[in-house]
Amino acid sequence: MSEHHHIIPLKIYFIVAGILFFLTGVTVWVSYIDLGFLNIVIALLIAGTKATIVALFFMHLLWDDKKNLIAFVLSLMFLAIFMIITMSDTEFRGAINPEIKDPINKRAAFYDSLPLTDDHGNPIHEDGSHESGDKDDHH
Amino acid sequence: MSHNKSSPDFLYHHFYDVNQQYETSKLGMWGFILTEVLTFGALFVAYTVYRAWNPDMFINANLLLDVNKGLINTIVLIGSSLTMALAIWAIQLKKKKLSLIMLFVTFICAAIFLGIKYLEYEHKFHLGQLPGEYYSYMGPEIANMNNPHIFFSIYFIMTGLHGLHVAIGMGLIAWLMYLTARDKLHSAYYTPMELVGIFWHLVDIIWIFLFPLFYLIG
Repeated sequence: MSEHHHIIPLKIYFIVAGILFFLTGVTVWVSYIDLGFLNIVIALLIAGTKATIVALFFMHLLWDDKKNLIAFVLSLMFLAIFMIITMSDTEFRGAINPEIKDPINKRAAFYDSLPLTDDHGNPIHEDGSHESGDKDDHH
Repeated sequence: MSHNKSSPDFLYHHFYDVNQQYETSKLGMWGFILTEVLTFGALFVAYTVYRAWNPDMFINANLLLDVNKGLINTIVLIGSSLTMALAIWAIQLKKKKLSLIMLFVTFICAAIFLGIKYLEYEHKFHLGQLPGEYYSYMGPEIANMNNPHIFFSIYFIMTGLHGLHVAIGMGLIAWLMYLTARDKLHSAYYTPMELVGIFWHLVDIIWIFLFPLFYLIG
């Protein structure tokens, strides 16, 4: 009755799980090394590799009828469209009108007990100017 | 209603044969997975937009999370994905008892995952590291970041929706154990287990992305 269902050798499941555990270790190890923007690239590459392995082997997409793979890949393409169109708005708001690039209030009102800082933690005044002796602005 | 007497009792009358029924169920499940990817996808887009707007705050606020708890949860969830796959493998080979044990281990792993998540949430509730206007943590670490409540809004919504999926998955796995124990599932018909397996692996895939994006960006 179910002879058409492919039964995957047990060995493959254990090898796949071993690779997933290994890559988890690698991604934690790499996160403690400061590589600048490459950190997020490597983390996402490893996560993408792990997700692909799970989808192909644990979710049986490698052996399935390819229509299931098409459904899954389509969902990722829709997600890419969603991401690209949204980011093309939110990342370029200042290009047309610089005034709408930044929020009017630098931060929510409930932080008022703390000194206002810029993105690097340097104190700034309410009018937006930096304090003198700002160590980050020498170069 | 055209099936003759030799048709198995699990074959519904509107399907031509067992294979068509199996393939149709599976494609339906993948349609659901597509909607799931888009549901979480919207939150991943929100994460990307707010991280692009607040790059340094995200990297600093990430240090307020416990990497060890996230790592243990990753290992637990990958282990549970393995046991879920093994439960399907066992029932394909008519090993009913082994399949039940594997489902039970998967269920326990899910419970451990939610237990650790509870400890994390409880700690954050205690400190006031909460989403949006409920945020009240003013400790020394946040002196160099603006608006960490945005990070915690996205953290709680994404891990919360994922945790809800784990809880629903536990219910589905318990249902599979019931069906298997009652011999409703067997080597000729295990479609529900295959479909819940796909759901469970999707939950694993989402965590595979949540773990580095929230715990490892420092």
